Parts: sequence; C-alpha cells; structure tokens
Amino acid sequence: MIQLSGWKRWLLAIVVLHGIVACAGFFAPYDPTEQDREHPYLPPMRIHLVDTQGHFHFRPFFYAEQLRVGSFDQFEEHSQQAIPLRFFVTGARYDLLGLLPFRTHLFGAEASRVYLLGSDAYGRDQLSRILYGGQISLLAGMLGAGLTLLIGVLIGATAGYLGGWRDGLLMRVAELFMALPWLYLLFALRAFLPLSVSPVQAFFLIILVIGAVGWARPARLVRGVVLSARERDFVRAARGFGATDSYLLRRHILPETSSVILTQAAILVPQFVLAEMTLSFLGLGVPEPVPSWGSLLASLQQYSVLVSYWWMYLPALAIVPFFLGYLGLASALQQDAGTEKIVRTAGGSRW
Amino acid sequence: MRYFLRRWMQAVFLLIGVSILTFLFSAIAPGNYFDEMRLNPQISPETVAALRAQYQLDRPLPVRYARWVNSLLHGEMGFSFANNSPVAPLLWARARNTLLLTLTATLIAWALALPLGIWSAETRGRLPDRALSGATAALLVIPELVLALGLLILAVRSGWFPTGGMFSVGFEILSPMQKFRDVAWHMELPVLALVLSALPILVRHVRAAVAEVLDAPFLRAAASHGIPQRTLHYKYALRAAANPLISLFGFSLGVLLSGSLLVEVVMSWPGLGPLLLEAILARDLYVVIGGVLCSTIFLVAGNFFADVLMYWADPRIRTGAAAK
Amino acid sequence: MDRLLIVEKIEKRYGRAHVLGAKQEVTALLDVSFSIGRGSTLALVGESGSGKSTLALCIACLERPTSGKIVFNRNEITVLDEKQLREVRPQIQLVFQDPARSLNPRFSALELVSEPLLVQGRLDKREREARARALLGQVGIPQEKALQRAEEFSGGQRQRLAIARALSLEPKLLILDEALSALDCSVQAQIANLLMELQGRLGLTYLFITHDFAMAGHLAHEIAVMEQGRVVEIGAADEVLGTPNQEVTRRLIAAMPRLTAEAHAPRAV
Repeated sequence: MIQLSGWKRWLLAIVVLHGIVACAGFFAPYDPTEQDREHPYLPPMRIHLVDTQGHFHFRPFFYAEQLRVGSFDQFEEHSQQAIPLRFFVTGARYDLLGLLPFRTHLFGAEASRVYLLGSDAYGRDQLSRILYGGQISLLAGMLGAGLTLLIGVLIGATAGYLGGWRDGLLMRVAELFMALPWLYLLFALRAFLPLSVSPVQAFFLIILVIGAVGWARPARLVRGVVLSARERDFVRAARGFGATDSYLLRRHILPETSSVILTQAAILVPQFVLAEMTLSFLGLGVPEPVPSWGSLLASLQQYSVLVSYWWMYLPALAIVPFFLGYLGLASALQQDAGTEKIVRTAGGSRW
Repeated sequence: MRYFLRRWMQAVFLLIGVSILTFLFSAIAPGNYFDEMRLNPQISPETVAALRAQYQLDRPLPVRYARWVNSLLHGEMGFSFANNSPVAPLLWARARNTLLLTLTATLIAWALALPLGIWSAETRGRLPDRALSGATAALLVIPELVLALGLLILAVRSGWFPTGGMFSVGFEILSPMQKFRDVAWHMELPVLALVLSALPILVRHVRAAVAEVLDAPFLRAAASHGIPQRTLHYKYALRAAANPLISLFGFSLGVLLSGSLLVEVVMSWPGLGPLLLEAILARDLYVVIGGVLCSTIFLVAGNFFADVLMYWADPRIRTGAAAK
Repeated sequence: MDRLLIVEKIEKRYGRAHVLGAKQEVTALLDVSFSIGRGSTLALVGESGSGKSTLALCIACLERPTSGKIVFNRNEITVLDEKQLREVRPQIQLVFQDPARSLNPRFSALELVSEPLLVQGRLDKREREARARALLGQVGIPQEKALQRAEEFSGGQRQRLAIARALSLEPKLLILDEALSALDCSVQAQIANLLMELQGRLGLTYLFITHDFAMAGHLAHEIAVMEQGRVVEIGAADEVLGTPNQEVTRRLIAAMPRLTAEAHAPRAV
C-alpha cells in the first residue's frame, strides 16, 4: 500500500554522493595536503583529445603548464609536452574508508601533476581537497544532526509523555531557542568556546555547537507526536495489560515518531553541513591544513583571490548536489508520510 | 487589547529568557577577553587582574547579570573591552545598517513573492507554474553562502556592482541625494543575495496557501457570482490565505536576519555581522551578548508586527474567538 | 448473586486551565452507581457524549475518578497507586470501539495477541506463541494469517483479534466499549455470538457499552441507561425494555429498528 520508490530513489542518489566522498582517497588523484610550489593558483587544466597538429588521440591528455615569462601567476600550456591521462594509477598511499591501505587512484598522470579543478596558493590539488574536505563537512553535518535529533527526541519524548509543568518548562526553553535567529545562536555558542584548538578538537567542538543549536524544532515535533500517541487506543490497551512506561515508549510511542525523525534528519543534515561550512569559512571551524568545504572558501575573503582566481569558488558548488539530494529526500518523505496517513485512515474506516 | 497585552508580556519574557540564556553560556565558557590578554607577555598579570576587577568579571554570575541589566537600563548594555566603549552605541550604529539591509530585502522579497506565488497557484500544473517551481527548486538548493560568494565574484568580474562596503570613497562630501544613491548602489548586491535566498521559500508557501484557498467552496461560489478573477484572487483569496502567510512573515524575518549576518561578512557591509565576528575573535563578551539580544529584539518586533497584521486581518482574533 | 464489580457514587471532572488563569471544568460523570454480578452481562446504554467511555476508562483503571469508589473482586481499586494498579489492570480488560486504532498497525496478529503475556512476563517465548495461536483459534482467526499485520485484516477480524488479546490474560471482567458499533450487521451478529459462547465457556463477566438497545437486549441480563454523566435507569433487561420509565430510554428504544427488536427477545436473567 505504501509506495517506497519515491524516496528510495533520492536515498540512493545520496548514498552514491556520500560514497564518492567517503572513498575520497580513490577518486582524488593526490593527497590533499601535498604541496607543489611550482604551481600555485594554477587554473583548471584543459583536457584535450586533439593535439596542436590536429591529430586525434583516444587517450585524453593535457599539456604541462609553466609560468609565463615575467609573470608570477600566469601559466601557459607547454605544447611540446603532452601528458596522457592514466586511469587506475598507483600513487600516494591512503586508507580506503579509513581502514584499508590502498595506492590505486581513479586517475592521474606520470610526468606531471594533473589539476582538473586548479590548485590553491600552495599548489595543492583543489579536486582532492574538495573530496577530502567533504569528508569533514559531511561527517560534521551528520554527527551534528544525530546529536540534535538525540537531544530533540529525548526532550520531546520527555515533555510529551510526562506532560504537566515539565512539558511547559521544556517547551518554553525550546521557544527561547527558536526565538533566536539560528546563525546568531550558532555564533553565540561558538563565541563562548575556545578559539585556538587542534583540528580534531575543533571538529568535535563544532559538532557540539551545531548539535546544541537545532534541537528545539525536532523536540517540538516529537513532543506533538508523543502527545497524540499517548492517547491512542492501542497505547491505552497496552497500558491495560499492565505495561510499564518504558515498554510503552519503546514499543508503541517512539516507533510512531520514526517518520518525523527521518524527515527531520533529511532536513537537518544539509543545514548542518552548511553550518559547518559557514563557521569554517569565517575561521571559527576546523583550521588549516585540514580541508573542509568552509575553510577551502576562506581564501575568498581576500580581495585579490576574488578578483584573480575564480576557481577558488568551486568548493562552494560541491554542496549543491548534496542539497538537491537531501531536499528531494525530505520532500519525498513528507509526501510519503502524508499519503501513508491517508491510506491508513481510509483503510481503517472503509473496512 | 488583551490580546496585545498578552503578546507584549510574552515578548518581554522571551527577551529576559534570551539574555539569561546567553549569560549562562558566557559563564560556562572557558575563555574571555582577559585570558587572551594574559598570553601577551607585555601585560603583567597584576594589570590583568586589576582590569578584571575593574570590569567586575571576578564577581559571581548573578551579580554580573544584575550589573549588566542595570547598565542596560542606563542605555549602555555593558562594556566592550576591545573597543573601550559602552556596547550600546557600537551596536546601534551597526544595527541600523543591518536593519536597513534586512527590511529592504524583506519588503522586496514579499513584494515579489506574493504576485509570483499567486500566479503560480492560478496556473497550477501549467507552464508558468512549472517554470516557477523549477526556478524556486533551483534557488532552494543553492545555499546562501554559495549564492553570496557567487554574486560577489560576478560583481568583481563584471564591475557592475561595488564589491563591498556601504559607502564610496568621498561619501562625506556628497549631497544628500547623492548620498542616498550611493548607499542604494552599495545595497544592491547584498539585498539581491538576501532576496534570492528568501524568495524560493516564500513563493512556495504563498503558492501552497493560495492554492488551498482557491479550492475552497466559498471561492468557487464567489467565482460563480461573476466577481472578476483579479479581485477574486488578490482580495478574497489572499485575505483568506492570510493567516499562514502572516506567520510566515516572522519566519522570513528570522531567515533574513541570519542570512544578513553572513552576507554582511562576505560583502563587508558594516552591520552586526562583522561586529559580532570581530567580537567573537576578540572574546569581547558583552558585544556578543548585545548582538545576539539585538537580533532577538528585531525578530520579536517582527513577530509582534505580524501579530498586529493578524489582528487586523483575522476577525476571529478581534472577537476573541480564536483565543479559545 | 456475588457482585464482581461495584461502582459507588463516582464522579469525573476534567479541569481545563484557561489562558488567563480561570479554570473551566467539564463534568463527565456525576454520581454514578451500579454493580455487576459475576458471570453476567450489564449493558450500559446511552447516547454519544453521555459519559459511557469515561466510565469504561475509570473502571479499567486507565483514568482516575475525581471522587467515589470502585470495588473490584472485593478490592477497592480507587485507592491503589500506579504500581498496584498495574497488577489489577490485567484482570479488567477493555475492548475498544475501533480495532483499527486499538491495534498497533505495525504488529502482526501473533505479536498482538501475545503482547499482553509478554508485558506481564508470563510464560516463555515458545509457550507464549502456542497460547497466542490457541487464542487465535478460539476467536476464529485461521492459523495461516497469524503473521499478517493488523492493517491487513478486515474490521470484523480485527475486532476478533482485539477480543483474543483481551482474553489472553484471562481477565475476570471484559469491558466492551462500543465494540460492535463499527462493524456491519452480519459481523456484529457473529461477534455477539462469539461473546456469548465465550461467556458460557469461561464464565466471563461483561460490561457491554453501546448505544444500540437491540444489541443490549440481545446480550445483556441487566441494562443501565446513561444520560449526561448520570445513570438514569437501571434494571433487568426485559423490564427496562418492556416498561421504560425515562424519556431517554423511550427515545432510544424508539430509535431501534423494529424487526431486529422482535427477532431478538431479551434474555431472561
């Protein structure tokens, strides 16, 4: 009766996108911190199939680039030196999914480094940095959303199940959190935590801050569901069998909140990835040399970068497909919950 | 009147709650301005301790809170260590600029969202609706940061817009009219970023609310009475769809305030955003608290305005029927 | 006859706090008294909103009456605390009007029927399943449907499931709160027969709540009529049906379909 295909398709898309980022080591040609001082701010390379003599090549190739004479940031293609693009090459060592040591990369080249999306001030490969940066940003977003939902469900279920003055108090506090513009709240929380910390500390600090900001809305939604589930006949019936509160919550009430939680997760994860990006962009997040989508954009705050090196903006676009995927998933889930409800009530009364 | 009184009380309690909350956060925070100062070898520990005592940072939290409330009542809102001045005047100058940006963006966004949303609802399933839905979906997946940075690069490369700030060089010598135009010119880009970020959400909500009303029997009846479609949609339907839209107003203000924070930093607009960021980096406690409180006041004021609109638009509230 | 349940002067008021402090009260039950003999059926008849369901919840220990006393099996249950109530509840089981709502749609038939045993910690897993299968057989649910989910059953079958799970704890008193009202006529008759058969076999006591005088006359030994939270008339089924002395009773009797009323003559006590 319930059609799953709608949201499953979106979920598949998201899983694929995350898979690419999770296996960054394979898809990225280089280590994200490896520098190449010869090629700072190299624009994205052009990949050719036809050489300067007009000959067609089956294997894509690119030309080695070198600084134009008398310039410090203008590069030109070295037309005598065509370097073929190679697939499944052996390169820098990495741990696939953080576990398996590997050396195979999807693509690369032998004589020179290839920069599909250009390089940064230290000649680090942008593509590799975007892929690795996604790991930090997405993980922070997901863990932050997990934390938020955990807090939200705990508080929402407590308020909804206990009711009375506890409910009133918790919901007033939730309103307080919702009354603040969320970015200001994020800033305020971040403001009161230490600034100069190691990347790992910063990472967990950010998850903590992000997680603490968003709990109010899921808490209110969960509370609403729990409040109405508590009065359902099947909960009453189970109470009539002598069921304890913890049994009722576990078996009957919390399962009712699952669709709300799933939808909220699909809404919160991209929002929190963005929150991480924002904090790191402003220098309040994970510091150099660890890449994250936000810190990759931080260089754009310099006017000179903005003017001359447009490809430094490319990391910003990385989040767009993820946003699309999560947005699609969230609306498909919402639609699904709507029709499921209709199907259920119609089925209940028709028989 | 009782309705407004209740709303007013709620707003006051909310602000008190927010101020206590931010104070609590600041109390559990491990570092402050003077800790940073302590790291500076040129300043002796005794000086730091003396300064701490001077600003009463060594006193317990309730005392600090009480002193802060007292200074708020005197129009100071605490003291900025980094700027060596009371917080309120600092905030006020910046808040004005943020308000200018946010309100302009809110007005423009709504002025665009209403006709677009209604048009979309009118042509449900047909070309204009589909095109608009596609466009809003496309805008929806571009986050604010990406949008603002993209616009800035566009501005820099095209030279059509100023690349940041609020005034041109030599602003002081311009005539009032020229000053106005100069500020307006500088506003274009940040306002555009804000409008584009808020527009898709607003258009979608307006469309949903109006589409629901267009299906209502009373509107079909009115249409069968021969009332022209334009009057029908802009007067009757919009009036009936007003409730969810007015509550959306408060929400849109919140979104735009948050967005403004970011856009201001990206486009170096001298609003609350850059001030807050500097205060965070300098651990300038009271400026952070003041900035957060200030944004809450804006939001509460916006919601209060929405309540007034609601009161005006919904006769049920006026007669007290909806309160039950 | 030995009285299994005695209800004495119970009242139930719901307080609703108003925004500005003034409390509004709704009185759902007012001075309600009656009793049910062991192994017999009392029908509680009344129009919707007359307080029948509130009464059912109070007797099933799912709501506390504001005042008054309920004595079940010689124990006063109105003075017990939450933990003690958990001991009493299994002996009084409630079957709700709409089985679509009283059965968790996520559960299978087997899970539903064995849930009460699980909650009570009675029997081990294998014994629970055997007991549940036996109960399903008792209420006429075919074994091959035991693993289907609640939403895949028809309304009548769901109500059989609800009765089966209520019986699983071997209660002394079964409260049927409009348990037949949502079903169509032929199914109603089947379930009514099932109930009578079970009563004969297991010696159950029923509190049968309905707005349908025909069904009350068919099933009950005694009938109580409720109006606006009060019991206005009570007596043996044939007396109430034959010589009603209240306006509501006459109205409800007049509302029942003629043919049915003659077909099911009241049972003698």
